[in-house]
Amino acid sequence: MYKLINDPITGKLACIQKLSNNVFIPINENNTDYQAYLKWVAEGNQPEPAQ
Amino acid sequence: MAYGTVNADVIGTSVAGSNLGAGDASLMKNRIINGAMQISQRNGTSTVTPALYDYTIDRWQTQVTQSGKYTLAQSTSAPAGFPNSMLITSTSAYSITTTDCFDEKQYIEGFNCYDLAWGTANAKTVTLSFWVQSSLTGTFGGAIQNASGNRSYPFSYTISSANTWTQASVTISGDTTGTWMSSNNSVGMAVLFGLGVGSTLSNTAGAWAAGDYRSSTGATSVVGTNGATFYITGVQLEVGSSATGFEYRQYGQELALCQRYFQQFGGTATYEYIGDCICASSTSAYAGISLVTTMRAAPSFSYTGVASDFTTDAGNTNTQCTALALNEAAVNKVRLTLTTSGLTTSSYRTFLTYSGQTSKVQFSAEL
Repeated sequence: MYKLINDPITGKLACIQKLSNNVFIPINENNTDYQAYLKWVAEGNQPEPAQ
Repeated sequence: MAYGTVNADVIGTSVAGSNLGAGDASLMKNRIINGAMQISQRNGTSTVTPALYDYTIDRWQTQVTQSGKYTLAQSTSAPAGFPNSMLITSTSAYSITTTDCFDEKQYIEGFNCYDLAWGTANAKTVTLSFWVQSSLTGTFGGAIQNASGNRSYPFSYTISSANTWTQASVTISGDTTGTWMSSNNSVGMAVLFGLGVGSTLSNTAGAWAAGDYRSSTGATSVVGTNGATFYITGVQLEVGSSATGFEYRQYGQELALCQRYFQQFGGTATYEYIGDCICASSTSAYAGISLVTTMRAAPSFSYTGVASDFTTDAGNTNTQCTALALNEAAVNKVRLTLTTSGLTTSSYRTFLTYSGQTSKVQFSAEL
């Protein structure tokens, strides 16, 4: 499961948090964690929204 | 005066009996990083039970279909000339199923192996060499694979004497078919050492096969014997048809190579400086951290311990963090968002580990 994390000041999406291991993933297609996140979304999953 | 001449596997010099390739000079001939298992940033010498896809000793990743079947540690038991090895200890007598897979592998970045020209008619021959020791004897296995895992070269090697260091070497004709490495920062190839691989994922040793094969058929299962040990070090993958001496790199050089994929800050002292931060509100600060070497890609961020193990310090006062998150990442610098309290907007602070804490912030750009 993943969660969107916004910048607290700008409110814009800053990163993706993987909740199972508390890893914060940049929005970057060369990052393998982000690649795994995109694959997870492509499988029909949805991240938790930012708070 | 005669100058060096280039032969197939070694570089001869004008000095009688001196060959750079057959010696141990650093020519960057070894495509494996941390083949001597010397760098262990994450766990030091601690014994861990690795889970699926965990990185342990730098650059080495665990692939397990069942958790808790072995432990892994950086060991000081090693053959002459090596400081360390990777020690695997089986924690049960597990009977592998046909689809089970236990292996330790290293992905090699495309930039570091594209010259092998695999997948073309010009594919180069390589030799994989390594030192192993086990409490078990028999035939063991591993494989070389492409990034997609649909081209595999299972290999086998023999350990004849228990608890005795043995050097093994496998020469592999480059694959002339399949889709292989490009000159980029993605996976170029993978080198796997099997510790128990089921029949579905095993195939005949010594030949290329279309499919996902991670070891040789009939290889010994280390996880099948409770308490069995398996050590490996001196892993080298080089161009050529024979193994040459292990390439010794300077420690700082090897560490920098590892830090392209993983680096961390903190962990050694309390109130350890990590970076500077600017307070964006009374509860949020942005901390900038310069990475020690350019990473393969913008890294993921994590931290050991809990958020309150870190603090923002204004000289004579500090407030512990209640949350840390990644705000922005590039290959050579990152910015974190620190959540805390009592900040003065637009003032500067430093980002430190807190009193009594040796937690770390970690950045990973592994393949």
